[in-house]
Amino acid sequence: MMPKANDPSRSVAPKAAQKKPRKTEAAFDLWLQKGLHDIFDNVAHEPIPEELLRLIEEDRKR
Amino acid sequence: MTADIMMPTFHDQIIAILPKLRIQALALTRNRAAAEDLVQDAVCNALSAQQSFIPGTNFPAWMHRILRNRFISNLRKRRDTTDIDDVPSSVFATEAPHEDRLALKELAAAMTRLPSDQREALVMVVVHGMSYEALAESTGCAVGTAKSRVFRARRQLESWLLGETKESSKAGRNAAALLARRLAEGERDVIRA
Repeated sequence: MMPKANDPSRSVAPKAAQKKPRKTEAAFDLWLQKGLHDIFDNVAHEPIPEELLRLIEEDRKR
Repeated sequence: MTADIMMPTFHDQIIAILPKLRIQALALTRNRAAAEDLVQDAVCNALSAQQSFIPGTNFPAWMHRILRNRFISNLRKRRDTTDIDDVPSSVFATEAPHEDRLALKELAAAMTRLPSDQREALVMVVVHGMSYEALAESTGCAVGTAKSRVFRARRQLESWLLGETKESSKAGRNAAALLARRLAEGERDVIRA
């Protein structure tokens, strides 16, 4: 007979099997941090548009 | 005792925070041109509202909130769609090996699929190194909500990139294979740390 979906003996095992080791999560987070820096750091280092700087400086002089 | 330290002016603080605003704007809009426009709009709003800023309070949080509010306001006005794959071309002009660039491309594409609040939260914590408390103040939410957004973003990306869903593309599975190798290297680093 097929076990019912809410049978505790059925639900516990798959949950345990799905649980990821913490070190895998930590390794993924480390990789993610490096990847996000690779993607976004260049944007931060691009020169600020002259128009935007002029806008700020003109307001400063007021 | 008098404070001899020169406090940066309001305008100096705006100029100093521009790089972080650009990153926040790109995380929200997913589009370079829209991000530049959003930063400019937010700066205009900040200049107009400078009398409402209380010196000595958290300027970055004030500025990030202005940008975020402007983004939400623009969304309500336009209800438009944005490019979903507008990754900075400079990302792919790095000296990283070809397979690493593919994995980065997969990461950038997966980022665009995250809800904007999760994407913004993840970038502000991971790239800016912002604390959960500062993130909460900058985005006008509870600290628990800020933590939850970052946590869900991380685990969702992990799920997509490691090919744990039916949606995984062939390219995604290839990236996952590479990622698995990089993770093995990363795990060694984690164990050593």
